Amino acid sequence: MEKTTHFGYTEVDTEKKQGLVKGVFDSVASKYDLMNDVMSMGTHRLWKNYTISSSNVKEGDHVLDIAGGTGDLAIKFRKKVGPSGKVILSDINDSMLHEGRKNLINHGVIDVEFVQANAESLPFEDNTFDCVSIAFGLRNVTDKDAALKQMYRVLKKGGVLLVLEFSKVENQMLEKAYDFYSFNLIPKFGDYFANDEDSYQYLAESIRKHPDQETLKTMVLDAGFKFCEYHNLTGGIVALHKAVKT
Amino acid sequence: MFRLAVEKALNRIINVNNIDLAHIDNKIINLRVEDIDLSLFFLCLNSRIFVINNTHNKKTDVEIRMNKSSFLSLIKGAPLEDLIEKEDIEINGSIKTAQQLADLLAASSIDIEELVSKYTGDIIAHQIGLSIKQIKNISLKNNGSIIDNLKEELTTILLAPSRSTIFKDRTP
Repeated sequence: MEKTTHFGYTEVDTEKKQGLVKGVFDSVASKYDLMNDVMSMGTHRLWKNYTISSSNVKEGDHVLDIAGGTGDLAIKFRKKVGPSGKVILSDINDSMLHEGRKNLINHGVIDVEFVQANAESLPFEDNTFDCVSIAFGLRNVTDKDAALKQMYRVLKKGGVLLVLEFSKVENQMLEKAYDFYSFNLIPKFGDYFANDEDSYQYLAESIRKHPDQETLKTMVLDAGFKFCEYHNLTGGIVALHKAVKT
Repeated sequence: MFRLAVEKALNRIINVNNIDLAHIDNKIINLRVEDIDLSLFFLCLNSRIFVINNTHNKKTDVEIRMNKSSFLSLIKGAPLEDLIEKEDIEINGSIKTAQQLADLLAASSIDIEELVSKYTGDIIAHQIGLSIKQIKNISLKNNGSIIDNLKEELTTILLAPSRSTIFKDRTP
């Protein structure tokens, strides 16, 4: 592994990134859902619905939602897998898991397992899950290749990997507007709604440092998947990579 | 979006009817509709079907080639043998495998028609398609015939529209 890596636009020691990301999420956890709604103007719900639609998850399936945060995907997966299925929400950050647990209870969902785990070393057996999802989490992982290999390992044959993540905007005009919005307005929203401008500055920067659609597709294929396709959502602001383990 | 819609329609039919996919398990089937440049790869694994646009050089087990009209006939339920006999369709690989995919496509035909109607902007066709789809779903769930459920549904609409499943879950 490289000795240094990026934390937003700042180059940091690789072993320090995890702690810095933890600091960001400890700070934003309690306002996470509110900020998602504010920043995306509610669109994150549509992106997540599309992800669920693409999952092919059915009754009885076992689903792992990595970096599951406040649990909005887990709630939807829980409905899909029914009583005979199983949903595990994992996150490296205990503050986010705490928020997730509260959110699920508020939604009347009690049968989701919570596991505090690092995506780079998942504590699950090989070939366990029918679906592994990670929504807006991969860009915060220090060693993305290792994490993707772990996701491949824990999926069953025929299991689906879903990576929903910010990506590269296709249209130049939209890109300019999006850049303005990300670097000028999002940190201000962070300051106003969550009293934390720095964390939202990191968010905007980390999105720009994340691999674009084609690069991420190559990384997914390198992790062992034979099929991987991506779907650009909202002009490429977000992309859903879907891969199948064969 | 088209691929996702086809994938969802096929998997719903598989799940609702508990269809055994043994004949097509672990197979890649390529369906090509030549005059509209449509090429879909169907990959069957883990009791479900994935519709992809590229096999990344993985070998295709069955190749089905046809034109638009034979594709529409196929999804409307025309027997595969008839289309082969008329030389409207060309199959390279196992006919049994092709047959199972054709049966699944035929079973989900209403969804595909509805999707097409959405694209053509035909709102009435879309609404009719939506209603038929709901009735079909009820039939599949209750293991009843579509005709019987259709009769029952029409009676409910005429006598007590608010009780109809078609209007259920719709906000005014």
